[in-house]
Amino acid sequence: MTTKATSQTSVLRLSNIDKKFGQTHALKNVSLEINHGEVIGLIGENGAGKSTLLKILTGIYQPDSGSIEVNGKSTKFRGPRDSVAAGIGVVHQEQSLFTNLTVAENIASGSKVASRFGIYRWGQINRAAAETLSIIGSSLDPSTKVSNLSFVDRQMVEIARAIRVDSTMGGSPLVILDEPTSVLERSETAILEREIRKLKAHGSVIFVSHRLDEIMRNCDRIMVMRNGELVADRVTSTVTEDELFKLMVGHEARAVSSSHRVVAADEQPVISVENLSRKGKYSNVSLSVHAGRLTAIVGSTGSGREELARALFGAEKFDSGSIAINGTKVTGWRIAKAVKRGVAYVPAERKVEGMVGGFSAAENITLTHPGKAAVGPIVFPLARNKIARTWFNTLDVRPNDIALDLARFSGGNQQKVVMAKWLNSPELSVLVLDHPLRGLDPGAAQTVNEQIKLACSNGAAVILLSDTLEEALEMGDDVIVMRDGEISATFDMTKESPSTLDLLERMV
Amino acid sequence: MNLSQTWTSSIEVLSNDKASKVRRIAAKGWQAVGPVVIFIVMFAVVSILTPTFIGGGGLTIVASSAAPILLVALGQALVLNIGSIDLSNASITLLGAILLAMTLGSVGAVAPILIVLLVTLFGSVNGFIVAYAQVPSFALTLGTFGIFQSAALVVSSATTVYVTQNGQAVAALYQSGVAGLPMTFILGIIVAVVSWAFLRFTRAGLGMTAIGKNESGAIFSGVRTRTLKIVAYALSGLMAGLAGITIIAQAGSASPTGLGSDLLLPGIAAAIVGGTSISGGVTNPINVVFGAMTVALVPIATAAIGIDAQAQNLVYGAVIIVVVALTLSRSKNSIVK
Repeated sequence: MTTKATSQTSVLRLSNIDKKFGQTHALKNVSLEINHGEVIGLIGENGAGKSTLLKILTGIYQPDSGSIEVNGKSTKFRGPRDSVAAGIGVVHQEQSLFTNLTVAENIASGSKVASRFGIYRWGQINRAAAETLSIIGSSLDPSTKVSNLSFVDRQMVEIARAIRVDSTMGGSPLVILDEPTSVLERSETAILEREIRKLKAHGSVIFVSHRLDEIMRNCDRIMVMRNGELVADRVTSTVTEDELFKLMVGHEARAVSSSHRVVAADEQPVISVENLSRKGKYSNVSLSVHAGRLTAIVGSTGSGREELARALFGAEKFDSGSIAINGTKVTGWRIAKAVKRGVAYVPAERKVEGMVGGFSAAENITLTHPGKAAVGPIVFPLARNKIARTWFNTLDVRPNDIALDLARFSGGNQQKVVMAKWLNSPELSVLVLDHPLRGLDPGAAQTVNEQIKLACSNGAAVILLSDTLEEALEMGDDVIVMRDGEISATFDMTKESPSTLDLLERMV
Repeated sequence: MNLSQTWTSSIEVLSNDKASKVRRIAAKGWQAVGPVVIFIVMFAVVSILTPTFIGGGGLTIVASSAAPILLVALGQALVLNIGSIDLSNASITLLGAILLAMTLGSVGAVAPILIVLLVTLFGSVNGFIVAYAQVPSFALTLGTFGIFQSAALVVSSATTVYVTQNGQAVAALYQSGVAGLPMTFILGIIVAVVSWAFLRFTRAGLGMTAIGKNESGAIFSGVRTRTLKIVAYALSGLMAGLAGITIIAQAGSASPTGLGSDLLLPGIAAAIVGGTSISGGVTNPINVVFGAMTVALVPIATAAIGIDAQAQNLVYGAVIIVVVALTLSRSKNSIVK
């Protein structure tokens, strides 16, 4: 892959940027250079310093030492305004558009041209928006309401807003995409990737993602951060995914054992589902999972697999059919009952359903299955702390502070705590996982994966709704494909080895 | 929900930004001691302005007046803690007091126990409807507030009901005391300590706080949220019943317009001044003791200082606003409804 850099002047050059917060050395002597038309991949674990670096680029933090050059001119960002004026725009993972307003209103909101004496200047607003959109190669109609746009189109509006034309002064914009894909479906990701390639003709991009395959596909150069240092700056064609992982995490990816446990002929499944149906969601779903086995369910949006998973945990009702745990059919199935029978559920909506923000990590871990932290109804905080400390060490949760509000941890570390909450049960029988790796950095993802495997080998029956097909094929003992609410194929991975294409064919 | 926010806030945690850490600890510290400090400061100010206040048994007067407010406020705090509200508890107190005054003579010393059981049942009906019919607690308890108040008017025929016999059994609560504090207030302190321990050291109590902080998260963690909601309202009813007993102990009579007929707003104010969050998940019953004392102190103090009777409500309102602004828990989020 070659860069399209036509002129040798760099759009942005950082030299020896250093930043400390108290005892923590967040950025150590970071130097980098970005040229016009380049797409730079920025990767690193949570806490590696990516976020601090981005905040310095956007003027939120000021470096302790070092210099910033924009288009060859030395400059200082005293606040976000300066950074925006230099043509740097950020698009965050979560969208922040006003959906009831038009594209143009969103792009122009807060800009100088938008109003005079408090009166909207519609002509100006639409013209400015169209101009900005053209800079990033988009031909959206500025007068469309944002609520009518697709997710990816909205992302383009976010980008346009970030590099608003009146502030870039005709220069070459630098767009920072901060984990834009972690909440996207596969097809949407493909569209976004196409848009990124369009952007290259007009400016430069810093692309932050935890998905190494995406980074490899879209970036000209890849920068890896670890412990506040820029440990590698490589042209994409010269590195492999494995090398990137090692650079990020500091050690090689530990191979996750892929031996499949064989089920005896007369062995009773831990969970078996028969003809489970819910009107409009899924129908006649039958499956069974034995102890120590992992069943991955794949399917696109609308396949009904999410609703099915929630029904297994008692979080949603089903209309007909039955669920049996260890051979006993369940009745009046709801969450409290499921929990009592050893069923666990790691939801996709971690912050809403997976945890209680405002409670400490220790309180969260022992909320469901207190184990030795409680005798009958009485809770013993010291015993609770001991349990939490053990889990923190096992899962390498950072920061190592069990009394800290769980809402203040990063996504990956929150997910480790959510796992610990369920694994703290000695009677875990069924583990239902809904996108357990979503938004996790590779290090955290590996820890979570190892715990899934461990729970499995300890005798739990695991049902996994994975983010990617590769994940399903790698982890699953069985892989079930769902389409329009029905099971369209089942692969026994001990006997077959389907490809992602085989799965895709049965998904659509 | 904002993942990128978590992402960045984690960096801030890792970087241990000293200033923000100091701010966090300071906020936590104020949350712990704010209500005590405010009561002491206000009490001191009143004592300086009116030196006879302490000599004249000011603290005892405040504690007597605070006892029913405190019991109602503790129940309110438990309900606020699960993210709901109980507008009916003060009218339950009144109904309980009237029923007690009517029955104490004929039923005897077990009457208080029966009345408390009855109003606990009233409370759990509130909770049952909130939990299962999913009627918003504000609307539901506004309705039951009216129902209980009408019931109080009907059973009392809108007149004052006097205790005819066995009055001493209950009045002893008011007449005896420890260190100048009447037993009615001591009862409130005991209930506060038990509530505090319940919230911190029992699975049910922690489950309730979890509901207030994030109900979905609690449900998905297997917390029996509906049962716990009923328990919270039942406890609110129970404490309202105890408040009714303290009224009979103090006045020997009850009426729909007499002592204890206007406990609703002081009860809510005391809970909030005690650091309870209106949006749920944050309360400390020990601090509610000081919240109740502060709320009880204001009208007594305005009278003691000699503020014009017509202006007393104005001062009361203004002081409550300032005190709530100082003590209201904002730790959950910056948006306060």
